Amino acid sequence: MGQEAPLIELSGIWKVYNGGVEVQALRGVDLTVDAGEYVAIMGPSGSGKSTLMHILGCLDSPTRGSYRLAGQEVAHLSPGKLAEIRNRFVGFVFQAFNLLPRASILRNVELPLLYGGVAKNERRERAMAMLSRVGLADRAKHLPSQLSGGQRQRAAIARALVTQPAVLLADEPTGNLDQATGAEVMALFDELNAQGQTVILVTHDPQVAAHARRVVHLVDGRIARDQRRGS
Amino acid sequence: MRLWALVADGSADVRAYGARTALQTVGVVLGVASVVATLGLSAGQRAKSMAFWEETGGTLKVAVYPKPVDSARSSARERASKGLTLADVEAVRQRLSGFDLVATAVRRPLWVRSGIHQERLTVTGITPEWAEFHELRLGRGRMLAEDDMVTAAPVCVLGAQRARELFGSGDPLGKTLRVGDHALVVVGVLAYREFYWNRAESFNALGWMNELILVPATTLTRRYLGAGVERVDELALRLASPQAHATAVPALRNLLLARHGVEDFQIFDRKDRIEQMEQQGRIYDITFLVCGLIALLVGGIVVANIMLASFTERMREVGIRKAIGAKGSSILVQFLVETVIVNGLGGFLGLALGVAFVHGMAMLLDQTAVLTPTMILAAVACAVSVAVVFGLYPAWKAARLDPVVALRYE
Repeated sequence: MGQEAPLIELSGIWKVYNGGVEVQALRGVDLTVDAGEYVAIMGPSGSGKSTLMHILGCLDSPTRGSYRLAGQEVAHLSPGKLAEIRNRFVGFVFQAFNLLPRASILRNVELPLLYGGVAKNERRERAMAMLSRVGLADRAKHLPSQLSGGQRQRAAIARALVTQPAVLLADEPTGNLDQATGAEVMALFDELNAQGQTVILVTHDPQVAAHARRVVHLVDGRIARDQRRGS
Repeated sequence: MRLWALVADGSADVRAYGARTALQTVGVVLGVASVVATLGLSAGQRAKSMAFWEETGGTLKVAVYPKPVDSARSSARERASKGLTLADVEAVRQRLSGFDLVATAVRRPLWVRSGIHQERLTVTGITPEWAEFHELRLGRGRMLAEDDMVTAAPVCVLGAQRARELFGSGDPLGKTLRVGDHALVVVGVLAYREFYWNRAESFNALGWMNELILVPATTLTRRYLGAGVERVDELALRLASPQAHATAVPALRNLLLARHGVEDFQIFDRKDRIEQMEQQGRIYDITFLVCGLIALLVGGIVVANIMLASFTERMREVGIRKAIGAKGSSILVQFLVETVIVNGLGGFLGLALGVAFVHGMAMLLDQTAVLTPTMILAAVACAVSVAVVFGLYPAWKAARLDPVVALRYE
């Protein structure tokens, strides 16, 4: 496994916002993540961890630097190309779940496949399979508002995974959940990683970060520490 | 295939947001319907007035009436003028081109007696062309002819209502009517005519035709007014073509002025009145259209308001969709589907509602319902412009939205 090229390879990433006052959100980040890793990115608010996640997830492009995702340089692609990359390689899980409120759970989970150009029958099959995997098969026709917070986050995870992405990116995935359901969701991440899924968590919660086998600390737009735990 | 999936997804979305879609559609419906209705109503009004002019001889009529001159202040030459006479009619007929019909009428109140009724009534002496000029329609018998003029024949033609008053249900043809000191033979009866501006109106604009007692002009002047009195009350002319108006009417004025030495006549031409009416029609059109456009604007604002009210929610949705791999074009398709459904449906329903309203009003006011292709075009144009302003623009904006920015909408 160590012989393979890394899944994610950031080198010299800068992100500078210029809205009157120049803000350097990221100042030369180098980060390598191999397939199958379980990484937590931690840092106080304003440290640039959200910006880093946006760049890792191809939602945003860095001002400077290089980003190779699955062997492909993606730092400066067009918005359309980035959308394709997101669809194929990245699955997002957000703090606020971000399910479409008027669409059934099933439609929500099918949506990435629709944008990926998957035919209708296959979409349905794969979405249902993924809902079964997160234990929501019997809730497929429900609207998000009819589910509990934990169920919503599991639906969001199903949506993130339905395209079999190379990396699962989670931004404060337990931030809107109580202790017990948060633990449930984290258990799901652990299980997914155990099955080989690359997982990157962005969090400020040490308890959440403790699930990861590697913790990257971000301070003032730079990586301050990069700790690996033996498994 | 892929596009079709996006369209299906978009329409599922439209269904999911039923209330929002319905309100937007109502906005478009009201806007389009009011534009169609206002255009239809004003077109109907104009068609009605044109119908009246057509019914009474169209736009080519010119009439000359005597005008009293203040005799105290007039010169001897002016006092010498006999006013409009049969000789004037003859002169106009022979010397002026541009008119294809020259007719005259002279009126006198006379005692009229039949077997069952007697009354002092206006008797109209006419040249045969006068009947053609006013497009009188014969019911039975015959009209007055040139021969009757030459011989000053003791004959008359009655309007439908007069015939009934004077002869009841019996056949008046061939019967004798005492008019003044002479007995006249009834040779024709006019067809009953009517024209109402609207259903509520009881005034028959063509009613005067039913009350006519027509005799040859010469019969009236020679037998009743005495030889040498050739004064007439009306000179009626018809232009050969609308283009003749510009030259023929001034020529008529000059000829009469030269013969009379004084302007003791007045020329009325319908072209002026019709132009005036046309102009009024245009003012109506503009007023109606402005009302329609205001309604459309209100409809558009309704649509825009609903769009704005759901803006935050929608931007967040655009962000989510983009995060999971939607391209700008996919977002555009989604918004376009909504726009096409809302404005297509709204435009169609609005057109139907507007047409129904125009027909309803037409029935109520006894007007013809006029629906021109222009109106349908206007309705479509309205729906399309609302679609562009309140649908395409937000779609274009949403498609270009930065996903990070879109996700940040709370």
